[in-house]
Amino acid sequence: MSTVDVLNGNKAAAWAARLARPQVIAAYPITPQTPVVEYLTQFYADGQLQCQMSEVDSEHSAMSILTGASLTGVRCYTATSSQGLALMYEPYFRASTLRLPIVMNIVNREMISPQTVWGGPQDSLTLRDAGWLQLYVEDNQEILDTTVQAFRIAEHPEVLLPINVCYDGFYLSHMSERVEIPEQEEVDEFLPPYTSKHILLDPERPAAVDPLTSGYLLREYRKKHMAAQQAARRVITEVNASYADRFGRDWGGLIEQYRMEDAKYAVVTLGSVTGAVREIIDHKRNAGIPVGLVKVRSLRPFPSREVAEALGRIESLGVIDRNVSFGWNTGILFQELRSALFASENRPAYIPFVGGLGGEDITLDLVNSAVDQIVENASSGNQIESAVWLETNDARSLS
Amino acid sequence: MNVIEKLATREDLISPGISACIGCNVELTLRTVMKILGPNTVLAIPPGCMGGVGVVGWNKQSGAKVPVFFPLLDNTASMLSGIRLGYEAQGRHDINVVAFAGDGATVDAGFQALSGAAERGDRILYICYDNEGYMNTGYQRSSSTSRGAWTSTTPVSKNGTGGKRQHKKDFPMIMAMHDIPYMASASPAYVQDLVRKVETAMAVTEGLAYIHIYNPCLTGWGIKSEESIEVARKAVKSRYFPLFEARHRKVKINVKTRNPIPVSDYLRDIKKFRHLGEAEIQELQRITDERYTFLEAMERVSEEA
Repeated sequence: MSTVDVLNGNKAAAWAARLARPQVIAAYPITPQTPVVEYLTQFYADGQLQCQMSEVDSEHSAMSILTGASLTGVRCYTATSSQGLALMYEPYFRASTLRLPIVMNIVNREMISPQTVWGGPQDSLTLRDAGWLQLYVEDNQEILDTTVQAFRIAEHPEVLLPINVCYDGFYLSHMSERVEIPEQEEVDEFLPPYTSKHILLDPERPAAVDPLTSGYLLREYRKKHMAAQQAARRVITEVNASYADRFGRDWGGLIEQYRMEDAKYAVVTLGSVTGAVREIIDHKRNAGIPVGLVKVRSLRPFPSREVAEALGRIESLGVIDRNVSFGWNTGILFQELRSALFASENRPAYIPFVGGLGGEDITLDLVNSAVDQIVENASSGNQIESAVWLETNDARSLS
Repeated sequence: MNVIEKLATREDLISPGISACIGCNVELTLRTVMKILGPNTVLAIPPGCMGGVGVVGWNKQSGAKVPVFFPLLDNTASMLSGIRLGYEAQGRHDINVVAFAGDGATVDAGFQALSGAAERGDRILYICYDNEGYMNTGYQRSSSTSRGAWTSTTPVSKNGTGGKRQHKKDFPMIMAMHDIPYMASASPAYVQDLVRKVETAMAVTEGLAYIHIYNPCLTGWGIKSEESIEVARKAVKSRYFPLFEARHRKVKINVKTRNPIPVSDYLRDIKKFRHLGEAEIQELQRITDERYTFLEAMERVSEEA
């Protein structure tokens, strides 16, 4: 059983956090994440959320408090965006290298400058190598379901890593959709309480946590950390399957494929733009064009095998990036994907699309135009290395 | 039981052989404080002298016999807030959650986290050992360094000019103005006073307790190791570093200095001040008098209130 409600993305995230029964929450408001903090503190004020709630002085302190709390062996949650994430970079990196299974929603927002508050995953993608797991979602139901799953993934004994569930600012955070809220008892059964067995500050068991180390020890830490990221590939898939069994919603695990069975062309996406791409795929399929979609859900660990398999027979593809990788002249997802395809026998033609920066809309027209370019590019087989911009002022019409 | 008996009977919770400079009074202070705090303590030692000398453990041996860890330089207070909240969530209310942090980690980089924890009333005991700079990395200046002092980042020219251009941040007063339940300044030269203050701070159950200890640094300041306690005592006797406590702004001066020695007497045995001329010494005397007058006024107001 579940309750059906109309929730914006931030409230879906707050509901997921509440259902997971974190013992410590520390959060600092920042646009567009602010309502997550407001919903949680309201739940707390109304007695619907029993935890230690800390309204902190900064994101740096939020992550530091959760680092300390997690070292006492309790379940921890927070959320942030953009500049807040940048401010917490120092304890953020350390939470992963201390192997603390903290769950944090990132409500994706551009990085300044120029001054902006609008959506885009530049914030979290820039930190893809800080050791956290990072999942990206498409709609508000997926925010709730994935955030609940995130606790079980992070706390899994073979993983023990912090995790981000990332969703686009405003497009998801402030848009309302139908969302099913699972029953508390069901979530309790899915998500047993967390107990720390690997790192603990406890006067009954005195230990030095994180003393100064030499290179050989740091090397061992990194090897184990990287192995845990790899173990997370299986755990993310298993937890998704287990969630689907219990709650009836399957989000695909590491990636989701849409109409890829006989596809010759593919679009690769991350985040909320996926919805517009689904529309266009249906539209093109109706016109007899065999195009499909691969949505990357897990950016860390990167599902290189799954992506290469999904795109194994594709002639031409395009990646839609809502972010940039300075120095590569493309988006970040494109670079990740191209690395994954390097070991593949199939080397399709590709186009690195970049658009929708700073909250700009990636319209149906723009996606339609992108698919046309992907199809056209199949005959020439070009592997285009520089960003092809999705810009509204030269969009082609759907008609 | 007097203080000497107490300290003689309590277990030393810092392992022997930590590699502090010969005669370091911060090491002495840490051992004293930990004897009072006892084993039911979690200890945060941010990067600084006490981290550098091995209190957070080295080669599989713990430098402290209690749970101990490195916070980052700038998040000592907020990590401790989290530890307190984690224990509260588990119904464990009796653990001492303690910072032993240098002035760099406290008055500079860690100030926002500390101020936030104080404002929220998080139940932690924060002890700052103030040796006026980043001493374990070669004596760089901090905002707690005294005006005129030589440091490696406020060097002195061949003609004897230079040194730090600004006065020391009045940090005990800044913490007192947070309206916390307990703030105290302390000195390694006044052990009985220090022990009482640690015991008082341990008993605080509503909010943050803060103790600021002035620990002259032998190597960084240029003091003979056998004179370091005497220098610490002169800092108090000259009123340069007065010993006082504040309970929610209610101020009490603990060591009265009715006939203070001149600040120049305090400065004389310290190499980092040796280049100072008469005008610069007078400027240190002026700030000393001004701050002490302000402190006495606060004490008077507290008595009247």
